[in-house]
Parts: sequence; structure tokens; C-alpha cells
Amino acid sequence: MPEPTDNHGGLVCVGLNYKTTPVEVRERLAFPEAQVPQAVQQVRGLPGFEGSVVLSTCNRVELYATHALPSGDHGHAALRDYLVEHFQLQPEHAEALVLYNLDSAEAARHLFRVVSGLDSMVLGETEIFGQVKAAYKTALDTGATGKTLNKLFQQAFTVGKKVRNETTIQRGSTSVGSVAVDLAEKVHDLKECRVMLVGAGEMSRTCAQSLLSRGAKSIIVSNRSYDKAVELATEMKGTAMKFDEWEHALHEVDVIISSTSAPHFVIKPEQIEQTMRKRRWEPLLLIDIAVPRDVDPAVNEIEGVYLYDIDALQTIADEGRRERERQLAACERIIEEQLEKFGFLHSPVPNQHGFLTS
Amino acid sequence: MPLSQQLLLAATLTFVGAVVQALQALKSGAWKQGRTQLMLMAGGFVLQTAFIYLRGQEVGQCPMKSLPDILVFIAWSILLLYFLVGPAFRLSLLGVFTAPLLSIMQIMALVGGFAPYPPKGKINALVELHAAVALIAYAAFALACITGVMYLIQERLLKKHQIGGLFYQLPPIQGLSNAIQRLVRLGLLLLSIALGISFALQTSVSNPKLVFSWVVWGLYAVISILMWRHFTSPRKTAWLAVIGFILPFISLWIVTHA
Repeated sequence: MPEPTDNHGGLVCVGLNYKTTPVEVRERLAFPEAQVPQAVQQVRGLPGFEGSVVLSTCNRVELYATHALPSGDHGHAALRDYLVEHFQLQPEHAEALVLYNLDSAEAARHLFRVVSGLDSMVLGETEIFGQVKAAYKTALDTGATGKTLNKLFQQAFTVGKKVRNETTIQRGSTSVGSVAVDLAEKVHDLKECRVMLVGAGEMSRTCAQSLLSRGAKSIIVSNRSYDKAVELATEMKGTAMKFDEWEHALHEVDVIISSTSAPHFVIKPEQIEQTMRKRRWEPLLLIDIAVPRDVDPAVNEIEGVYLYDIDALQTIADEGRRERERQLAACERIIEEQLEKFGFLHSPVPNQHGFLTS
Repeated sequence: MPLSQQLLLAATLTFVGAVVQALQALKSGAWKQGRTQLMLMAGGFVLQTAFIYLRGQEVGQCPMKSLPDILVFIAWSILLLYFLVGPAFRLSLLGVFTAPLLSIMQIMALVGGFAPYPPKGKINALVELHAAVALIAYAAFALACITGVMYLIQERLLKKHQIGGLFYQLPPIQGLSNAIQRLVRLGLLLLSIALGISFALQTSVSNPKLVFSWVVWGLYAVISILMWRHFTSPRKTAWLAVIGFILPFISLWIVTHA
């Protein structure tokens, strides 16, 4: 069992996130990546401060610091003043600024939750783990962390991994785009997957981008407006196709995302039966995002064809969110166990400065 | 109970444990392919190997003559192929589907009992090789059958939009379909080698074991051609791999009791 850290009382976290602060304010208070090393040094250089880590993402700005000030409140006030001064906030903006001020165990708990994706907009998302790691590395490289923060962040990464390994918090899709990716991955090897967009709506663009970002091989875009198809194909490094030609290329793709504004079915069972013969039974995933629907539901009866309309995708995404919420209690339990293990929940005793340490 | 059978019992319990652990995890929705399953399967394999070694010492030859011994040898071969083929075909969860079959085969073997063999003269290495290769071929057909079951489950989940824990753990259906084809081809190749060896043996063509081996070979040759020429859909191919295994399974009874 590791020794309890001995300076939790001097640990503070001041921050704001998507729950406390609207994007108009968050974007004003975000640290550009290049300025983070400088910010880390500035916080560390504040009177009475010993170490700092600055986490700045699109959803949150958080300052973690250790100090030797008389109380945690002094530390919070100093960090708040730093933010106001650094971003040159007008007095009315400074007054309206809503920050969370956390001490020792609360700060550690918060960091553990953040690293585990429990405080994220998309519950259980994994990107934040890498973002916290990068923030810590930046602070470490500038020599601004110190023993307490080094230990805290290492513990946080351990907790983050434990939460992901021992629960299924990151499993399941929570958005239509990620459902499309999950489905495509279970039909084909995504690296060999060729995608066709029939119609260039916003939602189909999102799905296609999700597939491409996860390694889909190629994309063909076909739209009534050929210019728009070319524009989207260029953006996605794909191929544009005239709208009267897409039917001829159906057998060459593995995933079809359809989102035309046609008032009738544009993809019919006869076409797909013919396509499947040409594909020699290679499975085909059809994602129909259009309302009214583009794909005749009878297509799903054809062997090797898997059809999902917008309602089916939405239902899966909703279930994914619910599943993650069901895992929340187990995740919180792990975090509490780890807080106990790392000594954050020991009986508090006053330190030499007169405020509480574990 | 002799030590060899105690080891086999331990191996069987290990596989049953693997099944129970996987079922509980799948039921709770918290299933993740992890080290526990792999360790259980590896542990079971070591125990099986020890059993086969000790049993070989007991009977003074490769223990492949009685039905219980054959079942254990096939179970061992299935696991051997699982370790060799599973990672290559990226068939996560294959172990979960393999463990129940192994458990059933070994329980049947234990219930059947391990009688001593009649004294045997000089061991003919070719005969032993022929039998061993043929049984490993059967193990490949068994794995094709298991992979077929996985395909049919994943296919149904995709068709019915039942996206849950098992769905996320099963491999892509295209990968499963390819794996079935490769396993059938592998089994066919091994069985062809075993039958090729039989030409070098002075065995009557009407020997029931040989006759059934040729029937099994013919069945899988037809299945292989159907797959190769894409005459059937992957779903039907999976069904063929599942149902097809019934014949070699039944033939084991017939040939050991003939």
C-alpha cells in the first residue's frame, strides 16, 4: 500500500467547464496551447505557490496548484485573480465569473473524475485522458510540478486506467456518428472499408467524417448538386460522383450513407439484390439518415445487407448513453476506493499553517 | 482415480470455470476480453497436455484408440489451434465459445471412462501420424463450427439491431466469414494429408474408419468448393460449417464402436 501523500492540504484546483460557463466565456478564458508553458510558470511564480498544472481544453480550463498559503481560500483567490488579470477581464465579466474552488481531497476527486471521463460532456469519453496527460507533461517539462503534483497526476492516470479497465464506461456509442462507426467496424475491417455518401446533408457528413477519422479506406460523394459533391469530396479527400451515376458504383462500396431529400425511396430491394450478386455476398451496411427515408426497409431482408435508419441509430445512441450512466456508480466507487488508498480520505489534521491536511 | 484422470478433471473444471466466468460477465454487461479467460484456457491446455502424456505412458502408445481418448485428443487439438489461429484471425471471444465445447467433450470422456488398451505389438509411426493428423483436422472443423456459431449470432444481432455487450465483443462478420473458410480449408488440407498417409499403410479400403474419413473429406470438399465459388451466402456457409461438424462428430462413435 502506498504511503499517503503528505501535502494534500496545500493542493487546490480552480476551474470552469461546460457545466459552469457558456462557450462565449470559455473561449475567452482558454489558454492557447503555445501559451500553456508560460501560464504554468506564471501560476507557479505567484506568491506562496509551489507547483502548477494548467489544463485547457474546449470544455474546461483548470488550474491545479500546490501552495504554502495560510488557507485554501487564499489559494483560490490568488488563482482567480490570476485568471482575471491574465485574460484582462472587465470588472463586470470578472464578477460574473463562476469558478469551482476545490481543496485537497475534493481537488483530487475532481481530477480523478476528469481523467476517467466522468466529468466530460460525453460521459466516459477517452480523449480527456490524453489531454490531461499532455497538460501534465507540459508542466513537468517546464519543471513546475513538484512532488505533490507529480504524485497526484500519476495517481490520476492509474485511476483513469483502472476505471476504464474495470468498467464498461467507454463502451457503446453515444452519438449517431459513433454508432455508424461501431456498426461499420462490426461488418467490415474499417481499414478496407469504402464509403459512399448519397446526398450531402450535415448528418451524413458527420457520419462520414467519423468513419474516415477511424480509418475508413475511401469515400465517394454523390449529390444532386454536383458542385456540392465536389466541395464535400475535396474536404474529405474523396471522389465526387454525378447523381445519375451512383447506382452503378453501389457494388464497389461497403457502407452507404444516404441522406437525400427525395420524397420516395431511392434505394430499392431490386437494386441491392443485384448489387449483392455483383459483390459476391460481401456484406453491405446501409445507413439511412434521410427523413422521409431513402431506403426501402425491405432491403434489410436481403442476406448480407444491414440497414439502419435514423431512428435505429438514435435508439442505439440513447441506449449507449444509458449504459454509460449505469456504469457511473461503479466508476465513482473505484474513485472513492482509490482516494482512500492514496490517503486523501484520512482524518484531517491541522498542519503548520493551521489548515487541514490528510 | 488415477492421477491422469484427476488432471483431466481439473482441466474440465477449468473450462467450466471459464464458461461460468464469461457467462456471468456477459450477463452483467461487463464482459471484456481479458487475461482471466486466456489464463484459464492456457491452464486447461497445460492440464490436458499432462493428461495426454500420462495416459500415453499408461497405454504405451498415443492415446487415440478409444472414444474418450479421441475426444480428449480432439479437445486438446481444438485448444492448440485456438491459440495458433485465434490471434491470427483476430477472433476475440473464440475462447468463450470454445470452452463450452471443450467442457462437453471432456465430461463425455470422463463419463465414458478410460479402459486399458489391449497389448500392442510394434508401434507403426505412420499409423500414429495418420490418426493424429486426422484428429487435428477434426479439431479444425470443430473450430470452423464454433466460428460459424459466432457468425450466426453476430449476423442476427446486426439484423435485429440488438447492439449490446456481446455485439461489441464479437469480431466483424466479414472476418468471421473469412475465418470459417480458412478453418474449413485447413481441416480439409490436414485430412487430405492424413488420408494420403493411409495409402502408405496396409489397410483395407473398406476399413470403416477410412470409409468415414473419406465421407467427411467429401463433405468438407463440397463445402469448401461452395465457399470458394461463392455459390452460397456467408450465412448459409456458416450454417454448413455448424451442421457439417455433426458428421465427423457422429463418425467418431461409429468408427470407435465398429
